[in-house]
Order: sequence, then C-alpha cells, then structure tokens
Amino acid sequence: MQMNDSQRIPAPKEKVWAALNDPEILKQCIPGCQSLEMSSPTEMTATVVFKVGPVKATFGGKVMLSDLDPPNSYRISGEGSGGVAGFAKGGALVHLESDGPEITVLHYDVDAQIGGKLAQLGARLIDSTARKLAAEFFKSFGEVVGKRVAAGV
Amino acid sequence: MNDMTPTREQREAKLEGMGCKRKRVEDIRFTQGKGNYVDDLKLPGMLHGDFVRSPHSHARVKKIDDTEALKVPGVLAVITAETLKTVNLAWMPTLAGDVQMVLADGKVLFQNQEVAFVVATDRYAADDGINKVVVEYEPLPVVIDPFKAMDKDAPVLREDLAGKTTGAHGPRKHHNHIFEWTVGDKDLTDAAFRKAEVTIKEMISYHRTHPSPLETCQCVCSFDKIKGELSIWGTFQAPHVIRTVVALIAKIPEHKIHVISPDIGGGFGNKVGAYPGYICVAVASIVTGKPVKWVEDRIENLTATSFARDYHMTTEIASTKEGKVTGLRVHVLADHGAFDACADPSKWPAGFFNIVTGSYDFPTAHLSVDGIYTNKAPGGVAYRCSFRVTEAAYCIERAMDILAQKLGMDPAELRLKNFIKAEQFPYHSALGWEYDSGDYHTAMRKMMETVDYAGLRKEQAALRAAFKRGETREIMGLGVSFFTEIVGAGPSKNCDILGIAMFDSCEIRLHPTGAGIARVGSKSQGQGHETTWAQIIATEIGIPADDIMVEEGNTDTAPYGLGTYGSRSTPVAGAAIAMAARKIKAKAQMIAAYKLEVHEDDLEWDIDGFRVKGLPEKTMSMKDICWAAYNSVPPGMEPGLEAVSYYDPPNMTYPFGAYICVMNIDVDTGVYKVRRFYALDDCGTRINPMIIEGQVHGGLTEAFAIAMGQEIRYDADGNVVTGSFMDFFMPTAVETPHWETDFTVTPSPHHPIGAKGVGESPNVGGVPAFSNAVNDAFSFLGSTHIQMPHDYWRNWKAAKDLGVFA
Repeated sequence: MQMNDSQRIPAPKEKVWAALNDPEILKQCIPGCQSLEMSSPTEMTATVVFKVGPVKATFGGKVMLSDLDPPNSYRISGEGSGGVAGFAKGGALVHLESDGPEITVLHYDVDAQIGGKLAQLGARLIDSTARKLAAEFFKSFGEVVGKRVAAGV
Repeated sequence: MNDMTPTREQREAKLEGMGCKRKRVEDIRFTQGKGNYVDDLKLPGMLHGDFVRSPHSHARVKKIDDTEALKVPGVLAVITAETLKTVNLAWMPTLAGDVQMVLADGKVLFQNQEVAFVVATDRYAADDGINKVVVEYEPLPVVIDPFKAMDKDAPVLREDLAGKTTGAHGPRKHHNHIFEWTVGDKDLTDAAFRKAEVTIKEMISYHRTHPSPLETCQCVCSFDKIKGELSIWGTFQAPHVIRTVVALIAKIPEHKIHVISPDIGGGFGNKVGAYPGYICVAVASIVTGKPVKWVEDRIENLTATSFARDYHMTTEIASTKEGKVTGLRVHVLADHGAFDACADPSKWPAGFFNIVTGSYDFPTAHLSVDGIYTNKAPGGVAYRCSFRVTEAAYCIERAMDILAQKLGMDPAELRLKNFIKAEQFPYHSALGWEYDSGDYHTAMRKMMETVDYAGLRKEQAALRAAFKRGETREIMGLGVSFFTEIVGAGPSKNCDILGIAMFDSCEIRLHPTGAGIARVGSKSQGQGHETTWAQIIATEIGIPADDIMVEEGNTDTAPYGLGTYGSRSTPVAGAAIAMAARKIKAKAQMIAAYKLEVHEDDLEWDIDGFRVKGLPEKTMSMKDICWAAYNSVPPGMEPGLEAVSYYDPPNMTYPFGAYICVMNIDVDTGVYKVRRFYALDDCGTRINPMIIEGQVHGGLTEAFAIAMGQEIRYDADGNVVTGSFMDFFMPTAVETPHWETDFTVTPSPHHPIGAKGVGESPNVGGVPAFSNAVNDAFSFLGSTHIQMPHDYWRNWKAAKDLGVFA
C-alpha cells in the first residue's frame, strides 16, 4: 500500500526538523502510541495500539531513522508484531520544504505492508485506516510544532 | 371385501415409498433447535483447545515461547511440534499420499497455519493463552501466483521433500511440483489438431473457493486410560475412514476407537479430510486424561481447512467448419497449496477430471494435469461435486461456448450437434469412462422449449441492436449449460481410499411387530438420509417408511462405509440398502410360503406382502411375516429377519442436466439481474421429488455464489483477503434468484433401483450456466472469455476493458 500527501506547518524548517527527531513529540503525535524510547540516535523502540475494523492489537517494534539529510529529509521506517493480530512494516520518506521563513511544507511518501488477521479482516479498511492514521499523525505533528513555536519553545 | 379394506392406492400411499414427497423426518428436530451437533456435546471436566496460527504465509519459525501463556489462569498446556514429535505425530499422512505438518515444524507454509495448540479449562482462557504465546518468525519469499511456482528460481517450499524426485503419483519435475497426470491418446489428438479446420484455445480458470459449511469443523476427543479406548465425536463426512486413519497413525487398536458423527450442519466436502485439530485434541486428551474440545471459528474454517477448485485449465478444441468436434486437448495447472491434501480416491490425483469430454462425442482427447505447491492452505476437496467434476464441467461448457462464438453458431445448436446419442450408451469416452446411460437430446430440447429459447435469442438480438444505437445501457446473456456428472465412487476395480475399496453398506433388522432399524455406512450432513433411506426400504419390503428408523455415523453400530461425499450415497449406499432389503425379502418369501402352505414360486409380491398367484385373497403381509420370523420359521431356518449388504458398484452413475440462465447486466455499474434460471436434472429414478428439489435449490445457490463472487483470494504477500463473510460472498435470500426445476428420468441400468445421485449436479451445471450468461452477454462487444467470479466490479471492469465507456 502506498500513499503520499503533504502538511503545512507554521514553523521554520529547522524547528520542524528538530521535532522530527524528538521522541517526545513523535510519541505525542503517533496515534495510539503507548511508549517510544530512543535506543540510539537513529533507533527507537515503540509500543503502539493499532485498530483496523474489528481487530485491535498492541504492536511492539522497532523504529529506525535513515538517509538523514538535516534539515531537509529522512526516512523513518519500522516493523512491529501484534501477536495473533499480525504484523506491520513500512516506512515514510519525509521531505521538508520552506515556504517562506515561517512556514514549512512537510511532504510524506509512505509505503506499508500489513499481514495476518489485520490484513484478512480489515482488507477493505486498511487503505482508508492507514490514510487516516497518517493524516492524523502529520496533522497533530503540525499542530504540536506550530504551538511550540508560537509559545517560543 | 368390505369397505374397510384399504385399496391398493391406500396401501401404497401408507408406505410413503419411492416417488413420494415424504416430509423430512429429521426436520422435526432441526426446526425446533433439537439437533445434536458436536458443539452441543458437554462432557464432565471437558477442556478446550485453540490454535496459535501463523500471520505469515512463508516463514521460518525461530522460536516459540510459551512462558507467559502458561501463566494465564486456566491454561494447562501449550502443545508444539516438539511435543508431538515425542509421539511421532508432528506430521500426518494426507489422503493424497503426501504428508502434512500437524503443527509448524521449523517453518510455516501458509497464512493461518497451525503453530501451537493451547489447552485450557475454557475457551476464553485458551484464547488468552494464544495471545501470550510469542512466536519469532523469519519471513521468507512467497509463492502465490501458481504460474510462477515452477520458475527456476522459485523459492523452495517443501524442504522436507528435498531430493525426492518421485512423489505419490510419479516423478516430480521441480521442487514445487507434486505430480503430473496424463490420460488419453496424445498422438491421435495432436493429429486431430493438425487436421482441424477450426480450433480454439483459451486459459479458463476456476478460482479458489471454499465449501464454507455453516457449522465449522470441530471435534471432541476423550481418552479412557483404564480401558485404553479413544472416543471421538466430530464433524466427519466419513467416520469409518477417520477410525481407520486414527488406528494407523496413533497405533491404537481399531476396536478401541469409537468414532461418532452426530448431526452435521453441512459438509460440502470440507469435512472429508483429517485436520491438525483432530490430532491435537486426541493428543491433548491422551496427555491430560480429560475430554478436550476443538471448535473452529469462521476465519479458521475459511483460511485453513480444505479449500476447493483453483484449477487453471488451458483448453483447446478442434472442430470442422460445420461444428463437429474432432479433438480436445486440456492442460491443467492445479494449485494444491502447501501440502497435497486433496480428498480424492487414492489413485486419482486429479479426481475424475477426465470426465472433461462432457456430454460430447469427442473421437479423441488428451489431458495432462500438473499439481503444484504454493504458499496457500492445503485442500482441493470436492465442494458439492464429485472429485474435480465441477472443474471439468466448467472447462468444457465454457469451451463449447467459445467454439460456438468462433464458428458463429448458436451454442445450443453446437451442443445438439455433438451430443452422445441415446443409442450410443453405454458409451466409452475418449478419456476412459463408460457412461452408463443418457438421453441428452430429449433433455436439451425440453429445456429449449420450456424457456422459449428461440424467443429469448430474438429478444437478445433486439436488445443488442438497441445497445448499439445507444438506446440502452443493458446487455443480455443466455447461459446454456449441459453437464454430465460422474458420481458414485466407486467400483473397487478403480476406487479406493488408503487401500479401502469404496463400497458402502447397510444392515437392516426388522423387529417382531413389523418395524425396524436400518444402519448405513453413509453419513447425512443435511441431505435427508433418514427420510430417503426409509423410503427405499418401504418400497422394497413393504414396511411403511415411518416404521423404519435410519441410523448413521456411529462406527460401533453402523457397518463399515466410506461416507458421504461425491454424490456417492444414493449410488452406493442406496444400492446397499436395496440389496439388504432384497435379502430380507427373499427370506420373507420363504417364511410366507411355509405359512401359506404353497411353494415359494407360487407367490408374487404385492405392495406390502406376498400373495398366492391366482388366489389374490390368499396373502401374507410383511408385518405378519415379521411376527412369524420370530416364532414359526420353516424347519431348519434361523429365526429373525435381518440382513447386511456391502455393495461394490459395477460402474459409476452419470447424472446429467440441461440448465439455462437468463441475465441482464448494466454496463455502467456491472450490476446483474438473473431474470430466469431453469434447471432440468436427470438423476435416474427419483426417490423423493421434494428432497431432490431442495437439493437442487441448495446446489444452485452455491453455484450462484461461486460464479458470481465467492472466492478465497490472496494478496501478493499471501494474506487471505476474503477470510470472513464480510468479504467471502455467502448469498442469503436477498441475493438468491428464483429457481425453476424440471426433470427427465433415464434410470441407471446397473443400479438396483436405477438411481444416480443428484445433490451435487446443480453445482456442477450451475456454475457454467451463470458464467456462460455473463460471457454471452459481453460476447457481441468482442470478448471471448472473462474469468470468474463475475461480481459487479469485474463486470464493470469487463465493460470498461471492452471500451463501452469510450
């Protein structure tokens, strides 16, 4: 499954980049995220509650950052297992573009793969759910970063 | 004779014998919720088991950690392949001569494969336990597309077969190859194609689907350690075979195994084979010393127990310009999934697919089938059909339509031109069968007259013209299907399961008061055997059907039988019933002769007893003979009145039928409307016309489902994406069209009562009728073949691909 979209964020590019590398902010913005811990500058472990249609499961897995080009782009990828609910893996290419000094446009290009019960039961729901989750993440990410900038953090 | 003496008609009516629309006796309990199914069984101290299943379709199993699962309150054990290895049961034999993992041994080969079995005090605890078993997988590349399974660099699926160049059915050509099966004269067929004036070639796929009985597969095992006896209650279509298989693989003496199939809520082939669940509950019961129950859920049933079809049939017909067929050549790529667990008679790796010449007089034909492994669930069972006969009927019926289109001939006319003629029976087909009887022209013409075939074609021509003028967006299709089935497996000369000949059996015991019990080796899953078996006996020996109790499914009491599937019950068990009844009748005649003081030969049968020839008032009813059998038999004769028959059929039976589907399709939405569906069946002698009608309705509804949407579909990664009734099309009364049924009667010449079997015919003939209707509708727009299933989206897509939106 693949999708791409963009999000306008009222913050300068460097601030957005910093936030993209801040586990606290990521944790706040990833829908259903229970925990997110840095194990190295480019590796994190995460626990996320994921729900597709009738299946709800807690996924445990790794998140990795690669192809870092500060403050312009990176690739965030991960894979996790939800036990009987199945597994998920995928990644997003995130690319930042300045639209003036105070506005950054965040482009994302996601590909994801889902298996197990999630894929079986939720086949017809996965695309829409994934789109919704991605949109939710980048929307709240934009809001959180925008607020922090407005508050002068 | 006074007025109280019943007339002949009244006496006959009282029997409710063959030909009577007797109401189904089993429905009294079914309609009141009093059926007794496996899941109704509750034994004291019974435990529950459930599976940890693989989310991957191909992966190495690196580690199974049950530490946390065993801490869940109520969880008693987690069984894995390692546990099963201690009793040599990690793998089990399949009916097709392959072996299958009971629990994942080192790797998994299809999604939802059984990995571990959690045993707990209740089902909820078992489920909680499953959630706590941690399995570490290493995903491997998958083989989903059957056409890529034999690529040179295709991943190796069955590492256990490494180095084995010969399988159960001969040489293996590739590491993912199971068998090659060829029938017919290749040289003669190739020559026919070289000389042919007209040929067609098409790859016709019959997609993977699933029998999906509403009651899923389930089993309860109880091992008595003191007696060393194992009792098994299960949803088994063939309980005796299960007993023998358990004896062979679990090394328990066969007399200490009690297999009971209680009421079964539909089987359709899904409940023929042996599943890991059965082995796991048996082992769990032996280990814990307690009864253990396993009940599949819907997803498990659809994704892990036996699927059906998945045949990809490259089909060629050679013909003259006038439309006389001269040769048939078919190659099948048969996708069997991860293990070859087809439930065919042992010598038939592709079932009876060589019935693919259908109802037509092909002078020569050649067939080859390649069975292959993929990362899909195992199976390949006969879903409401005799072994691979639905695939064969679909293949030839679609191909005949394609040929008609190429010749510019009407498909019905092409069929009439090529039918085997009534006087050619018994007919020897080019692929080796001896068709016992048939009258195809009569059946076809009756269908065409009843529906006004010529009138429908005129209407279609007018609608097509209107479509081309842009006045309508509806197209109309006529789906003609004329099928010949081959059922009643089967004669011991060519049919066995694991070496056991495919006979069937009946034991009848009449009691002193003129009532009795019949125990039969078949096993009803809804077919109505309790009703129809008694009707055969009623007609044969003159005891009212209401006075005969029919019992099936208990291996301790029923004589050994091979069970119910492949429309074999009436052709084989039905014959055994008639033959057992005739043994009783012969003894009854001796008793009557003795009591009436005449020679046996001076007696003649009269509805419900014997009468002396020429002296119609001198009679003895069967009821009175029963009494006499227990107190005044002729000197030297043993008392009692019972008989057993084991019937080995001399040949299969060949039911046939003429079906037509009239359908309109809206090209802008793909939405179809079945305007009319007419099904004429010839199943030989008709035992209960009402039950036949019910069977035809059920079979047509399943055919409708399969042709118009039902499928087991995998995505490229091997996920089953139709694993619940949300996505797997299960028609309800809302979607199901109205069915019109009709019949002709051509009795089987070798069957004791001339019956041929009918339960599966409508599925065999129905699918091509629907698919031909869709294809016929689109044909004038330039298409030759559109693959099933024909759901709205695919119809819309077909219209789009044909350029109707341009």
